[in-house]
Amino acid sequence: MSLKKYFLLMILFFVAGIGYGQRYFTKSGKIAFDATTPSSPEKIKGKSHTAVCVLDTKTGALQFSVLMKGFEFDRALMQEHFNENYVESDKFPKSEFRGTVTANDKINYTQDGKYKVEVKGTMTLHGESKEVVTNGELKVDNGKIKLEANFDVLLADYKVSIPGLVADKVSKIAKIEVDCALELFKN
Amino acid sequence: MKSKSKRIAGYILLAVLVLVGGVAIYIYKEYNRKVKDTASLKTDFSLTAKILVDEFEKNDSLAGRKYLDKVIEVGGQVKDISKEDNGFLTVSLGDSTYSTSIRCSVDSTHSKELQLVKQNQLVLLKGICTGFNRDELLGSDVFLVRCVLINNN
Repeated sequence: MSLKKYFLLMILFFVAGIGYGQRYFTKSGKIAFDATTPSSPEKIKGKSHTAVCVLDTKTGALQFSVLMKGFEFDRALMQEHFNENYVESDKFPKSEFRGTVTANDKINYTQDGKYKVEVKGTMTLHGESKEVVTNGELKVDNGKIKLEANFDVLLADYKVSIPGLVADKVSKIAKIEVDCALELFKN
Repeated sequence: MKSKSKRIAGYILLAVLVLVGGVAIYIYKEYNRKVKDTASLKTDFSLTAKILVDEFEKNDSLAGRKYLDKVIEVGGQVKDISKEDNGFLTVSLGDSTYSTSIRCSVDSTHSKELQLVKQNQLVLLKGICTGFNRDELLGSDVFLVRCVLINNN
């Protein structure tokens, strides 16, 4: 390819990039996981501060990616069990979500405001992918976007098995809490 | 004769009690074991941000096997520092011409030591490697958690 063609192509990509819409992102999104049951001797709760999230405000495309080893627990033993026995983070280091904000065109991203949103897409955890739909809140605040959502994950859907010995101590349904503050991505 | 066997039974009982007690203490301690302060952990690898980034860029599964869950001391230039409303600090290390960085989330009990760290300053941090996230758009990252400052000059 000649240099001129190459430059033309670069310009084309650049222009296409602008037209494509604006992306907002964070690399320090918070995702918490809670599998406490009434008969658990204590809270079974882990939290990650390192979730990566990207939202394209033009298309509503939304992506999450979180490293399983980044979940921190109060008790070391719980953290080890979570990684070794439950999510097998050596084999499946990452959990992902790829989807869209439905009714994205109803959101005015240029003005401060709060919206109830529905998000639809595919979640991958423990090497298993599943279609999910969840509700959350999207807040446009002074050029930043805050995303909050709470939803339940049936562990069996992702083939995360709980050993019989602790079956009544660990919830079969994990509560997931998402809290991300996104900033405008500047190239 | 009788008293001898009684004495033996007594010793056995004592031994069993000590054993049961020991196991109970072990279980109790193990159950309540807290995640250790990174500052007190032995360093497994000591290297520059560039070398660590390059290894993950080249082959992330190989580098993952080598570095995941390991205590790593990494030296490099501060690219960016972000502080959240709740005081949670994240320091990004690496060459500014590189899109890949090392993202270090700072142990909240040690964030004070990092308050004065400025952009472009050279620092040495210690943390635990949790993985690599490849991202063509935002720039890839090697993640370290529970980081503490070792040296800032």
